[in-house]
Amino acid sequence: MNGRQRDDRLAPSKLAVQASAVRSAAPASREEDRALIDRCRQGDAAAFEQLYRAHAGKLFSLTCRMVGHTPEAEDLLQDIFLVAHRKLDSFRGESALGTWLYRLASNLCLDYLRSRAARTGQVTDSLDDDEPWIPDASSRNLAERTVSKMDLDRAIAQLPAGCRAAFVLHDVEGLEHGEVAEVLGIAEGTSKSQVHKARIRLRALLAGR
Amino acid sequence: MACPRYEEAIHELVDGTLGPIRRSELQIHLDQCADCRALLRDLERLRDLAGTLDRPIPPNRVWMQIAGQLQQEGRLQAPAPPPARTRHRTLLLAIAAAVVLTVGASLVYLLPRARPAGQAPDLAQTTAAPAPGNAAASGSVQGDIEAEFRQAEQHYQAAITKLEEAAKSDQNAIDPGTAAMLQKNLQVIDQAIAESRAAFRSEPTSAPARDSLFEALKRKVSLLQDTLALMNEMRKGNAEGAAQIVNGANKG
Repeated sequence: MNGRQRDDRLAPSKLAVQASAVRSAAPASREEDRALIDRCRQGDAAAFEQLYRAHAGKLFSLTCRMVGHTPEAEDLLQDIFLVAHRKLDSFRGESALGTWLYRLASNLCLDYLRSRAARTGQVTDSLDDDEPWIPDASSRNLAERTVSKMDLDRAIAQLPAGCRAAFVLHDVEGLEHGEVAEVLGIAEGTSKSQVHKARIRLRALLAGR
Repeated sequence: MACPRYEEAIHELVDGTLGPIRRSELQIHLDQCADCRALLRDLERLRDLAGTLDRPIPPNRVWMQIAGQLQQEGRLQAPAPPPARTRHRTLLLAIAAAVVLTVGASLVYLLPRARPAGQAPDLAQTTAAPAPGNAAASGSVQGDIEAEFRQAEQHYQAAITKLEEAAKSDQNAIDPGTAAMLQKNLQVIDQAIAESRAAFRSEPTSAPARDSLFEALKRKVSLLQDTLALMNEMRKGNAEGAAQIVNGANKG
């Protein structure tokens, strides 16, 4: 996976916040991914745990930012890896293993959000509002404000699910637009417009606090 | 407000994907437009901040639940027998995984979210006032539900007993100060369990009392699982992982 590198260390520990840092280690090669998947397909528990340790951190980051830091995020993470193991035979190596897992994760997150919206009586065909976003011309810009990580996380939680997913994958997790498009099953141009829309909304949300 | 004509180019400049010709054109415009300069500055700040957002670490129990479920499905083969010095660690993890499965299974009939379609109805619903003239049948249903609840509580207690035995079997792996802190946390949770149990016994049809008791039991299971995870980290000599578990347990 190209773009900005994230710190993928995963310490087997109770829920804790680990400050992210740009890491110089390269992601696993396609050959390494295929070898690992082959071992997983044979039921190798250690291999699947290795796969889990390598990817759970970033997938948990995605689920937490999509559905909130709730027990549901842990349940979704569990579901992601259970589904991944059951679908190992469908992984053909055409995309990177990380991209394939991100796709599983985003699909499960969006399905969960649709299901939650249906349970709470929200009637919508899409998780994005269809109203055109017109920023307030009088909004103050961010240069006049102090914005913390917590402020940004709160603002991200207010984004519509579709552009939230694109923003988290691109700006938070460091995927390129082509990878985001592959993960979300959209065109690359759509990925760009979703991320741009998210940024403009976040700017307005943070400036208007 | 930034100029719509240049907004996309500003985003692409932030992404680092703007070509040289368009970059030059944009730069000329930026020299003249304060609103677009402000937008560029803000988007760069957002991008930089987004890239440093903290990444929450999933609890160890998530892996144990995954491994337990896949083993139950027969999708994961048991690992080869480990060397003697790691056998105890594997045993602790296996106990913890089995306990998680046992506890999870016992909740299937009592937690609405986990209940498959067509299963017995939610305890809260069935504890509503019975239909007139149907007291005997309602009493029977209520009795069945209480029996199921007692069985679930027994599962929890059995799981807690197993975890406590595993934890006691290797107490020397944890330093006395940390062990004292964990013991203190356990006492607090045991007090909560006792109070919740008393409240539930005085109001057996109360869903909040039932949920409170289960929550306290879950907390105890979670703390005991963390204790085992801590022992594993101490055995591996992973001080950083051990410290994170201790910090998390102290907040929990």
